[in-house]
Amino acid sequence: MSVEQFVLQALNGLAIGSLLFILAAGLSLVFGMMDVANLAHGAFYMLGGYLAYTIVRGSTSACFRASIDFWIALLVVPLVMAVVGFVVAGALLRPLRGKHLEQVLLTIGVAIVLADLVRACWGGEVLSLPAPRGLDASVTVVGQPYPLYRVFLIAFGIALAIALWLVQERTKLGALIRAGVADTEMLAALGVDTERLFAFTFAAGAALAGLAGVVGTPILGLAPGIDDTVLILSLVVVVIGGMGTLSGAIVGAFIVGPANTFGALLVPEFALAFIFMVMAAVLLFRPAGLLRR
Amino acid sequence: MGKRTHRLSRRKFLLASGAALAAACAPTGGGASPSATATPKTIKIGEILPFSGVYSDLGNSMRNAANLYKKLNPTMAGRPVQLLFEDEANDATKAKAAATKFIEQDQVDVVMGIVPTPIAYALRDVFHNAQMIYIGTNAGGDWLTRAAGSIANQPASKSPYVFRAAFSSWQISEPIGEYLASKKALKEVQLSYANYGFGQESAKDFTEGFKKLGGAIKGDDVKPALGTADFVPFVQQIKNNPTKATYHFYSGADAQKFLTTWDQLGMKAAGYVLYGAGFLTEQDVLENAAAAKAAEGAITSLHWAVTLDNPENKAFVDAYQKEYTKLPDVFAVQAWDGMRAFDEAVKKLNGDTSDKQKLIRALEDVKFNSPRGAFEFDKDTHNVIHDMYIRQVVNQGGKYVNQIIDKVGRVTDPGK
Repeated sequence: MSVEQFVLQALNGLAIGSLLFILAAGLSLVFGMMDVANLAHGAFYMLGGYLAYTIVRGSTSACFRASIDFWIALLVVPLVMAVVGFVVAGALLRPLRGKHLEQVLLTIGVAIVLADLVRACWGGEVLSLPAPRGLDASVTVVGQPYPLYRVFLIAFGIALAIALWLVQERTKLGALIRAGVADTEMLAALGVDTERLFAFTFAAGAALAGLAGVVGTPILGLAPGIDDTVLILSLVVVVIGGMGTLSGAIVGAFIVGPANTFGALLVPEFALAFIFMVMAAVLLFRPAGLLRR
Repeated sequence: MGKRTHRLSRRKFLLASGAALAAACAPTGGGASPSATATPKTIKIGEILPFSGVYSDLGNSMRNAANLYKKLNPTMAGRPVQLLFEDEANDATKAKAAATKFIEQDQVDVVMGIVPTPIAYALRDVFHNAQMIYIGTNAGGDWLTRAAGSIANQPASKSPYVFRAAFSSWQISEPIGEYLASKKALKEVQLSYANYGFGQESAKDFTEGFKKLGGAIKGDDVKPALGTADFVPFVQQIKNNPTKATYHFYSGADAQKFLTTWDQLGMKAAGYVLYGAGFLTEQDVLENAAAAKAAEGAITSLHWAVTLDNPENKAFVDAYQKEYTKLPDVFAVQAWDGMRAFDEAVKKLNGDTSDKQKLIRALEDVKFNSPRGAFEFDKDTHNVIHDMYIRQVVNQGGKYVNQIIDKVGRVTDPGK
């Protein structure tokens, strides 16, 4: 592999890593706070992607009719997904509070129902979304045209990481989240309504998954099964990085993204196994993940 | 409450299956000579097709064509026709369940369809053991119609019950290998293909033809998985190889994504030239504007093209366009020919399909003019014998189609 080729493929890996970071941040946040691995996270991504598709493409779906652009989708879809997350947390997870295994099983059920709903509304075809106007051009990288949208995605991921870090470290909400991750019972004893905090956390996680669905669809497209693909990759990210920390999601995503790209190119027969080998290696030496305290 | 409904439904189920059993045991109204007074027994045709995932467009085209055939030919030798469809979803387990349902529950007369080669290989024994006639209308893996024991670990082998109205990988990929080496005088080509059964066979068969006449394959093959989400890394890998002549196998959504990425990364401007198995630039793919733009000028091989000039094709294309307001693709032709072949066989037997061996003999003798040209089965292998066309994508007044630039007559798979 030449140096130019390596640079281009590394960029591809970083773009996927950036997308995985957005996904894993939501997954990790929910796990850290509620001790629940949200296995509907991939389905939230998928629903977000299909909603974005409908908003951008206009009246192609039987369920929704709208005709506005990618940027509106970028704002609207996370809000819609936050509401979906809020409802799931409030109506379904709340009655099972304290029973973590049951809650995890319930999220599997939510994932299956959402996947079937998406199929009923949008069908089983492979759908794709072009990069939004203005970002559909190419830039020159090491003498080769490179899709500008991927550069945007990398920058977007970095900007979001900084924003989330600022929220976590510098705001009262962030302090609540950090306290909740550290010791929920103590937080409750101090008079904080942890049930409400849980619901908001879950909604925020769903919003992040929806956001990932919007920005990921121009690259990955949409088809049945995309929910499982992104769920597995983002679970690997949080396992490698460490559950419940933002920095863990960042580190994990920027290991798994490039590993995914180079694995598919260099060992096509073992592409997925390659990622799991990386994960197994990390678990051998750091069972709690790279950045788990 | 839940338990009660469950018990009720089981009782209902027992009743229903008892009735079905009684019906099955009752003497059927004289199969040998259907009397004029009794309603003739319906011919049931089970189609196993992909309606989701990478090959869903192919499944939809094939369903369209089968339905159109039924609409225009509502009976076969006087017997009404019923079409049943099941989604195979590119999943061997689902396809197996669908086949079992058709064979045991619906008791169909014939099964058609199946798009991905690995699924056809996986189901070959199911059809063979159940003595169910299967007419393949897409999956082109060579070994489905070749003798057992030709190679070690052969994935499948021919069966008296398996016919193929579609094509074999060899029929499509070997002749264009010879064509590019001789008529285009190409010396070097690099390969890329969807990394699964058919993609690997297509590359191997192309290499056989290309090397036979002095061509050479350059560099490592680029092998994205079937149904790859992101083709950018792979097209960049192709660009990393200085060999500008490139041969590809992709189909359905893969072909669309591959070609749009080809366009996006400026491969044409960089001097790279597209050749491939005809699915790469088939009509379903050319519906996508960016893919069609990238495909313009590409030379591919296939057993049909929408522009093919014969009366059957004209009638077929007109009827399809009238019904579905878009151009048909090769997958539609294959599903159409599967229906036609079975129809011809049933007519030969005057509607009496009770004797499986007679039905097999009748199918072996089927010959007709298909939209693709002369159609017949190879009696040894049950694979179709047909002409292969070398085609080039042209812009015909705003519509991208494949124009025929050469023809290889009566291509027969070398399998025995």
